[in-house]
Amino acid sequence: MGNRFGNAYGLTVLIPIKHGTEDNRSYDKIIRDKLQQWPLDEQSPLSKVPNTYLSRVFLLNDVFYEGAPAIEEHLKNKYLVFSSNFFGELDDYLTGMWNTIGDLLKEFLQHCVVFDKVNSSADFVRYIKRCQIKTSLFFNGSTDKPLDEQLKALYVKQAFIHFAYLSDHFRYEGERGAIKLQDAFKRFVNLIDIKNFNVPSWPVATQSIPADIELSVKAIINNVKEADK
Amino acid sequence: MNITLDLHDIQGNIVFGYGRWGYPLSRYLLFKFNDGVKARDFISALVPLVTSSAPLDKQNGGTPPPATTNIAFTYAGLTSLGLPDASMRSFPDDFRMGMKARKDILGDDGPSRPEKWDPVWKAHRSVHMLLTINGQSQEELDGRYQEIVGMLENTDGDVELLSGHRGVKGVNNLPYQSGNAIVLNGKPTANEHFHYTDGISDPVFKGQGRSANETIGAGKPTREPADTKAGWDALETGEFLLGHRDETCEYPIAPEPRLLSYNGSFMVYRKLHQNVGKFTDYIQKASANYGRPDDSPEVKQETIKAKFAGRWSNGAPLATYPDYASAMKFGQEWDNAAATLFYQTDVSAEQKSAARAKLEELKIKRRAFDYDGDIKGAKCPLGAHTRRTNPRGSLEFDVTGAFNTPGALVDRRRILRRGLPYGESSDRNDNDGEHGIIFMAINSSIQRQFEFVQQQWVNYGNDFKLANEKDALLGNHATDDQGNPIGRTVINANETLEQPTYMCSGMPRFVETRGGDYFFIPSMTALRMIGEGIIDPT
Repeated sequence: MGNRFGNAYGLTVLIPIKHGTEDNRSYDKIIRDKLQQWPLDEQSPLSKVPNTYLSRVFLLNDVFYEGAPAIEEHLKNKYLVFSSNFFGELDDYLTGMWNTIGDLLKEFLQHCVVFDKVNSSADFVRYIKRCQIKTSLFFNGSTDKPLDEQLKALYVKQAFIHFAYLSDHFRYEGERGAIKLQDAFKRFVNLIDIKNFNVPSWPVATQSIPADIELSVKAIINNVKEADK
Repeated sequence: MNITLDLHDIQGNIVFGYGRWGYPLSRYLLFKFNDGVKARDFISALVPLVTSSAPLDKQNGGTPPPATTNIAFTYAGLTSLGLPDASMRSFPDDFRMGMKARKDILGDDGPSRPEKWDPVWKAHRSVHMLLTINGQSQEELDGRYQEIVGMLENTDGDVELLSGHRGVKGVNNLPYQSGNAIVLNGKPTANEHFHYTDGISDPVFKGQGRSANETIGAGKPTREPADTKAGWDALETGEFLLGHRDETCEYPIAPEPRLLSYNGSFMVYRKLHQNVGKFTDYIQKASANYGRPDDSPEVKQETIKAKFAGRWSNGAPLATYPDYASAMKFGQEWDNAAATLFYQTDVSAEQKSAARAKLEELKIKRRAFDYDGDIKGAKCPLGAHTRRTNPRGSLEFDVTGAFNTPGALVDRRRILRRGLPYGESSDRNDNDGEHGIIFMAINSSIQRQFEFVQQQWVNYGNDFKLANEKDALLGNHATDDQGNPIGRTVINANETLEQPTYMCSGMPRFVETRGGDYFFIPSMTALRMIGEGIIDPT
């Protein structure tokens, strides 16, 4: 077991936070305050990083003492932990991350040990790799296809369910219904534009079912009915 | 392991349902306690009337009592009765919160939301005790009712019988809820208002005294064939009675002290209104294009109806009787045997005995099945009501050995269903009248058993690979912005019977919640101790 699972990569990074304070607040507190202001779901900066399947960031203050006979141990630093499951190669992923949310990352990574030496995407890749630890129990919760392909598949599946239900009545309208069903299906194929992975597609990191998928399918069924009048 | 239960210590309607003894009528009374001492006196006075789970002819000098009486308390009720804090804190969260506060889990939204319930439920935590009376005749039922109302006089108003049950024609201040078996063609039936035969596969548990034949299809599945005695074992007692070993070989979570909980249980009471008109209408419309074009409307409608439920109206399971003709033959055989046994006068002892044997055989056939070999839902759709609420071994999805036992995901989700229909629905196009079911579920853990079934299996479909599709009959189907119903369900294809995949959409909510709460049913011992005020967890 390692960092790879087919084309999926499991990244685990522990970034040491500097000791010390600024304006009467320790650096880890500054980082936590900033992180907790990040918006969630599709608004989250992490959703903008290309090819992210799932990622999370959290602060590790110390290790737990589990009681005797375990030995009580402590970390020398507090750590910012970043873990991510994504498609593709590590270098490409980290470069993509730097290019999309680099400025945001700098806001709190500046409080981490030797981050002041990071000035470019290449520096960032090197820096993260220095902090990387092996993901020993990596289980990928999705397929290992590129993200845009996965989201498109999700969209097509949802759209087709709506198409199946909304066009179902054509099956029972005889020959005329068959023609309408064929017409509707052609329009449906046009609508979903299956080779275009960008649009229309399932929005990244959304928590709720996007209502416009059903509405757009409904619209083409209505167009078929209109055209038949 | 042979379990012997003290049936005289367990309240009635738990170990067996009263229907088995022929009590087709019921009344449900709700009380509020304004004074703990007076309330405890009232409980003590009631104790001699309370029916136990012992065979009814063994607790009333050889003949079953004319009417039964049972009582159960809400959390607020037990607080009012002055149970010690340490006991009150030891009750599980589901019971402490009560049904109203669990509405998001139960899907009681829209027309099922608590604001729409019968007035008796509306005040905050004012329902303290449920008293149920089952009777063989109206006179006996009313006799027991009057007896209890008479006992209230000694409480100086400190125990109130709450009014506010809805009745017909806008009445909304009745002092009790009625329940009654539905009478069709002059005979009391086991039907509910959509005219399905109801209450067939109630779980069988250890100590209930059921025969191996009665356990077929009603216990938990083993790996032996489903139509044999070896195919089923009785469930552990602790799934339904507190203080006994459960399916994880532990005692269920129960309040302290042990004397308070031992031989007790938890009960969910729900008044479920049935939109009979919407159901009739939807079945007619939705079945129009179903099956072979030359099938009669009757065949189409009955088949769609069966596909929603997993059973034909007459109770025959789709898993064994996938087509209309075989199901009708089952019904005919049942009716003939029942007529010989119960209604015809000029029959010989041999004929009676043959009819009894036939009925027994058919009863077993109603239960003796699983969904092996029907993984695609060709016979019984994956989303059919009975397949959802009692999946038997089907959650292994034909991967034999996926779990230690085929029912590993099911055996801890079983509920005992008691209760009766209420109202009448002779107008099959009526939605607004009083007709529905007083649903009572008995289980050791409301959260693990009843609530799980309601949340995950009735109002969601993921466990059956049906995404967020709901139970067609019981699901809380929603409406769109314009108020149009948007419920959907798929009826899986059956190639043998030339039934292609059939899609039902625009489905309205057929069943709406009209009230209810979570109750604790104490044992006879605990009931007496509550009355005497001597529950002591220290």
